[in-house]
Amino acid sequence: MSEDRSRILNMLAEGKITAEEAERLLDALDARGAANSSAGPAIKGDATPLIAALPKFLYVKVMAENGDNVDVKIPIALVRSGLKLTSLIPPQAMDQINDSMSEHGMSVDFSNLKPEDIDDLVEALREMEVNVDSANGDKVRVYTA
Amino acid sequence: MNLPPAILDLKIAPPDGRPFHLWLPLFLLWPLALALGVFVLALTILTDFVLIVLGQRYHHYTILVARALAALLDLRGMVVRINDGKTAVDMTVQ
Repeated sequence: MSEDRSRILNMLAEGKITAEEAERLLDALDARGAANSSAGPAIKGDATPLIAALPKFLYVKVMAENGDNVDVKIPIALVRSGLKLTSLIPPQAMDQINDSMSEHGMSVDFSNLKPEDIDDLVEALREMEVNVDSANGDKVRVYTA
Repeated sequence: MNLPPAILDLKIAPPDGRPFHLWLPLFLLWPLALALGVFVLALTILTDFVLIVLGQRYHHYTILVARALAALLDLRGMVVRINDGKTAVDMTVQ
């Protein structure tokens, strides 16, 4: 076991970090290891370490001032599947969805979502990070790991 | 290809009353889900065929259902934790 890995596990055992944070740190460590090991002149042979280094989950954490906490971990594969599904919804149903979204103040036209754009969208999602700290103390974190 | 979700673990701790813990072995439902999926896909293929013959522009129900099933498979690994200070809900799909 590497020194970094054992240090993370010690921090977890001592309660200095949560299991989620430890998981993120270990994932980051794995990603760094994979990136270092694949820093050769060209990608040859097995690409599994590179694929393993990619974020697999989208995390949404909401910590409200009044004590409400929401913690959601969504597989990125599910996001991709959901977007692909969206692009196949029948036009009549899509119109109803768009109208309903518009009524709730979200003017997003899902019919513009083309299947060929979905992979780019998901790839861009992998680098996304949103941090919101509102004046009343509410915190929202959205990131991938 | 991903394996379908095998276990659903749901814990609900209400402010007063007994905590509720549901551990559902979804893998026991796999054969039933497979049979149901095959049946539904056969129906959608028939529907799409009829729609094509009738000249309808939208005839993608088979792909729609297949993608919906794929989305179900990708649920594995999902975690939802909600705690409002009184009630705690913890759902994990493994």
